[in-house]
Amino acid sequence: MIERVLVLVYLAVCIGIGVYASRRVLGSGDEYWVAGRRIGTGVNAMAIMASLASGGSIIGVMGLAYSRGIPATLALFAGAVIGFPLASLLVARQLRNFGRYTITDFLAWRFPSPIVRLLVPLSIVVAFTVYIVAQLKAAGITANALLGISYESALVIATLVFITYVSIGGMTAITWTDVVQGVLILLVVVGTAVAVTARSGSPFELMRQATTAAPELGSLAGQSVSSYLGSFVIWATAIPVIPHIVMRVFTAKDARGARLSLNLAMVAYSVMILAAVLAIVPVGKLGFPALEDADQVFLKVMESEFPPIVRGIAVAAVLAAVMSTTDALLLACSSAIAHDLLGGLFKLNPGPRKLAALRIGSAWVIGALALYWALSPPELITRFYTAGVGLLSAGLFVPTIAGLWWKRANRLGGVAALVAGVAVYALTLTGLVDLGLAPIVVALTASTVAMVIGSLAGAADDDALLTAVAALHTDHQA
Amino acid sequence: MRRSEALALLFLIVFSIVSFLPAWREVQFAGMSLFGWLMAALMLISPLLMLLVFGRGGGGR
Repeated sequence: MIERVLVLVYLAVCIGIGVYASRRVLGSGDEYWVAGRRIGTGVNAMAIMASLASGGSIIGVMGLAYSRGIPATLALFAGAVIGFPLASLLVARQLRNFGRYTITDFLAWRFPSPIVRLLVPLSIVVAFTVYIVAQLKAAGITANALLGISYESALVIATLVFITYVSIGGMTAITWTDVVQGVLILLVVVGTAVAVTARSGSPFELMRQATTAAPELGSLAGQSVSSYLGSFVIWATAIPVIPHIVMRVFTAKDARGARLSLNLAMVAYSVMILAAVLAIVPVGKLGFPALEDADQVFLKVMESEFPPIVRGIAVAAVLAAVMSTTDALLLACSSAIAHDLLGGLFKLNPGPRKLAALRIGSAWVIGALALYWALSPPELITRFYTAGVGLLSAGLFVPTIAGLWWKRANRLGGVAALVAGVAVYALTLTGLVDLGLAPIVVALTASTVAMVIGSLAGAADDDALLTAVAALHTDHQA
Repeated sequence: MRRSEALALLFLIVFSIVSFLPAWREVQFAGMSLFGWLMAALMLISPLLMLLVFGRGGGGR
């Protein structure tokens, strides 16, 4: 009973924040998409951490480590951690200085073409719908396991709550809820890790016991280098371009705040992942060595080791992780449709009321689609959404980095790199083309080659555009 | 990009490449492949190094 009350209170707080935020965001694009560009460094850091610390990062990371072993799992998440310095050093200052709303805005400005205006938002919608489905599964199995609510009911409740506060509260509501959610996630994961480690003496002793009982937990046996190298590369190249993180760069007060908040978020994220994988998973493997659904391991540990009130807080934390990511994903999808496609590609210029209706409507459509799909969810959610994120890395990483740092990059090169990255990733991931290498490695190579050939073959960009790009590298316009 | 930032980025890239060398797959410490420990170390070194570089550079001003 007490678990359900805690979760209900938490959900009510989220909706309350959305309603409160809606009073000032619905009439303004700046307020709705980027929270008025006035988010402070500490708040932004916690919001970035919470956006990345998805249901996948709690339920999924432990499920992956349980089934595939800890080393391969750490490779995936170390990739994300390496992605933060890449983002901080290569894109944060420049994109913040650019001062628009989305990664599509930047790419369509740097490489002006209808193909960019169409393909980038479409890729975002496809990849993030997959990502949202994975998050919903995490919410459903958590509520089912710890609250006794049916999987389907949990999906519907969680989806209704986050769509409501995202659609009416925009980035302002997301930022406030993310801070609450980030604190909750950190406390539960790190607190659980400390509690279970204390009972075993030390992390090394815990690891030794678990790997003695289940040697596969600590090994890479049976896994090719390309499989875990692929996960590493996907996340390392995703962080600098993935829309729900890039939008956080746009919300920062200035370029310095954007960079510092990325670095601080990375610290919190690393601590959380290491606590989950090095402490909670070994306990789960020792206590429950033959789980059919590996994604259940965290829930089993909570169920067996802690009293009801702690389990209630844990459910709220997982829902927080799900919502803090899903709300940002949903806003990114909504911006891809309402801002990038309808406003950017089709040049619709609706009034404030119609624009607000478009934002709200697109959020509800994407949410409903994801909910329908999540009713028959995939296995191993981390691998599932990593494939979706790979599509974005493959298409966006090379054009973004080259567009900022290579003066010779031009429209033909940018379009070629985008198309080649997306097409080659899709072909290799589905097995239509098999070169024996990780799909992301093949796709990024193809994207780079396309960028070089296209840029050398095409006409150089206008001096005015190159001057404007160069100006992004200074802080004067922040 | 400042020199210290470029060097830090280079260090992290080299650390990552070395970590993926096949030699570390079979070596074990406390029951886990050395590759796993190198990934865990990378997850701690990377944020701390970047904060150090950021702080010493005046916060990127």
